[in-house]
Amino acid sequence: MSFFSAASSSAAATVTPDKDIEVADPPNDSISSLAFSPQADYLAVGSWNNEVRLYEVGANGQTQGKAMYGHQGPALSVCWNKDGTKVLSGGADNAGRMFDITTGQSQQVAQHDAPVKVVKWIETPHGGILATGSWDKTLKYWDLRTPNPVSTVQLPERCYTMDVTYPLMVVGTAERHIQIFNLTNPTTPFKTMASPLKWQTRVVSCFPSANGFAVGSVEGRVAIQYVEEKDSSNNFSFKCHRRDQSPTNKDQSLVFAVNDITFHPVHGTFSTCGSDGTVNFWDKDARTRLKTFEPAPGPVPCTAFNRNGTIFAYAVSYDWSKGHSGMTQGHPNKVMLHACKDDEVKRKPPKR
Amino acid sequence: MQHQKAKHFKCNLCPRRLNTAGGLAVHIQQVHKLEPENLPRIENALPGRDGYEVEIFGMEGIPAPDVADYKRRKEIELGLNPGTISAPPNKRPKVENRPLSEEELRAQLDAHKALMGASEGAPPAAEQSSAAVYGAPPQAYTSPPVPAVSTPVMSPPGVPSVVPPGAPLAFAPPYPVPPFPSPGMMSLIPPGASPPPGFPVHPPGVPPFPPPPGMLPPGAPMPPFPGMRPPFPPPPFMPPGVPPPSSFTPQPSAVTPPAHPTFVPASAIPPPPLSPSIIPGAVGSVPLSSTLMATLTTSSTPAPQLKLPDPNFEQTYAPFKKPTVLKWSDPNFSPEEHRAIHSKYHTPKETTNQQTTGQAQEAELRGKKRARAEDFL
Repeated sequence: MSFFSAASSSAAATVTPDKDIEVADPPNDSISSLAFSPQADYLAVGSWNNEVRLYEVGANGQTQGKAMYGHQGPALSVCWNKDGTKVLSGGADNAGRMFDITTGQSQQVAQHDAPVKVVKWIETPHGGILATGSWDKTLKYWDLRTPNPVSTVQLPERCYTMDVTYPLMVVGTAERHIQIFNLTNPTTPFKTMASPLKWQTRVVSCFPSANGFAVGSVEGRVAIQYVEEKDSSNNFSFKCHRRDQSPTNKDQSLVFAVNDITFHPVHGTFSTCGSDGTVNFWDKDARTRLKTFEPAPGPVPCTAFNRNGTIFAYAVSYDWSKGHSGMTQGHPNKVMLHACKDDEVKRKPPKR
Repeated sequence: MQHQKAKHFKCNLCPRRLNTAGGLAVHIQQVHKLEPENLPRIENALPGRDGYEVEIFGMEGIPAPDVADYKRRKEIELGLNPGTISAPPNKRPKVENRPLSEEELRAQLDAHKALMGASEGAPPAAEQSSAAVYGAPPQAYTSPPVPAVSTPVMSPPGVPSVVPPGAPLAFAPPYPVPPFPSPGMMSLIPPGASPPPGFPVHPPGVPPFPPPPGMLPPGAPMPPFPGMRPPFPPPPFMPPGVPPPSSFTPQPSAVTPPAHPTFVPASAIPPPPLSPSIIPGAVGSVPLSSTLMATLTTSSTPAPQLKLPDPNFEQTYAPFKKPTVLKWSDPNFSPEEHRAIHSKYHTPKETTNQQTTGQAQEAELRGKKRARAEDFL
């Protein structure tokens, strides 16, 4: 009897329509980055086999490959410009490239002395500009027309992560440095601080309200940090992406890295994903978890919301968290699309 | 101490556990009314130490000769020199994580100079001042991107002929950068003319993406993606102000039946300048990179190593308070950095050929110096 009911419920789960949808024709090596166009449901996927692929996402989640271009080394980061006509990417070939989706041409637009870990489009009131952060310890701004950067900022260490919500830009580097820039004065850091977390910085992500940011570390922890000193009483950190050593021992002693944090563009809630293959949605103000995904069959290296927060994309692929030996044949490598329901991403009313 | 209570100072008549041998003796005498003479010997004790005479509480009260004896035995066991255990263990040198002050930095630099460049003769200033490294003369791209749709008037964007490379663009606070035209626009603008103001200007009646004017490279060798077509067909000339991508969704389905999703490699590697015979797409990213991979994996170049830029700033983690398995335990490098130097992904500098010779020489010089420093040490 119990067996029968269990079987029927699992059968029901497989046909449930709101199951996450797999993107067709994914890259054949690990996915490093995801980015949705700010204008349409176009998804850019950067991968370790040097490719950047562009997909169109239909209304029912069906996907179609639209274009692809390549780097001379693994692509580490992708982003779109404001009007969604250009895809920008940074790679381990030390180059930043721009792909024009109207002409189908790609060209090099940025150059560093070391791999370009992160590229971000900055939309200012005076026009758009490309920011690239590299392991050569510099941050460079490019206006895409000249081979030389508009400006170069020396960072304290190798750039690991960066995020922008105009006018706030936050850069996280090796050795746990965090530099906060006010983009009205982009060449000098507004504030330099040590990460509130005691372990290697993995990701920073700005609040959509641009008054603070979240930091994720390799030690399964996320810190919520406000820029202004007066809001510092709201700073906090919490543990996540941990697992018990054994089912009998509730010690949460297996600690995984937080690979990515992305904020919902409308509601200001956010997602975290980790090497443990789990994805969570959180509300930083109510300090609650909104949703837990079924654990994926492999690490989740990156996530992205689309422009209005109705689609949540997450990649399942190897993130080198176990070194080369973890790179097994047949490791899952895919991009999943999740249709966000309102109660998953909406803020909870604050507790009284 | 828990061990003592459980193993040695347990009353064998009741479940009571006592802290010390004396306490156990008193307990047995008073609670169980046994005579002092026929107290049971202490359980599980070494022969000769099963009496009640020595009052040991935890690690306190151990007779000095016994302590010395124990240490001697341990030293022999561990194969250490006599007397090492009795000396306090060396403390780990304190690592300070605060930024160094000017004086300290200067002192370190002097020490470093003495170590590195004393025999060199050359001023090793560039060694430390990173400004000298990164402030190297701006290099132009060795392979400037050339748009494939080559028109006579077009000067490729990003090539120094459009904007002189040395001309520094002022970067005053609020981005005094004029909105940049797209490459399509560049073709309309003769070099030297000022770019049109206002980037996202949509002129009325812009035809959204006419069908592809035969841009498809004939039979481009792309094993994983057979039968592809340009996804965003390039119009012959894009007027300034390109429509948002939502308008290019209508695909020319009449040209090729969109049976399954197709990928077209854009000109992944920009063809060398002044060689318009190379059609974009013919040099696909996948074939090239795969051959590159093959040569890489077979070549006998030494595997690259991750080197800390400054070993003084090596990071260490404090020990965890409770048993923890940290899945990424290298405090100094990220997973991506490890992955990027792996032979499967690493591309030596020579093949990217983006480094100017000056920088290459400098890198070489630095490598030599480092080797010498290692010898010295």
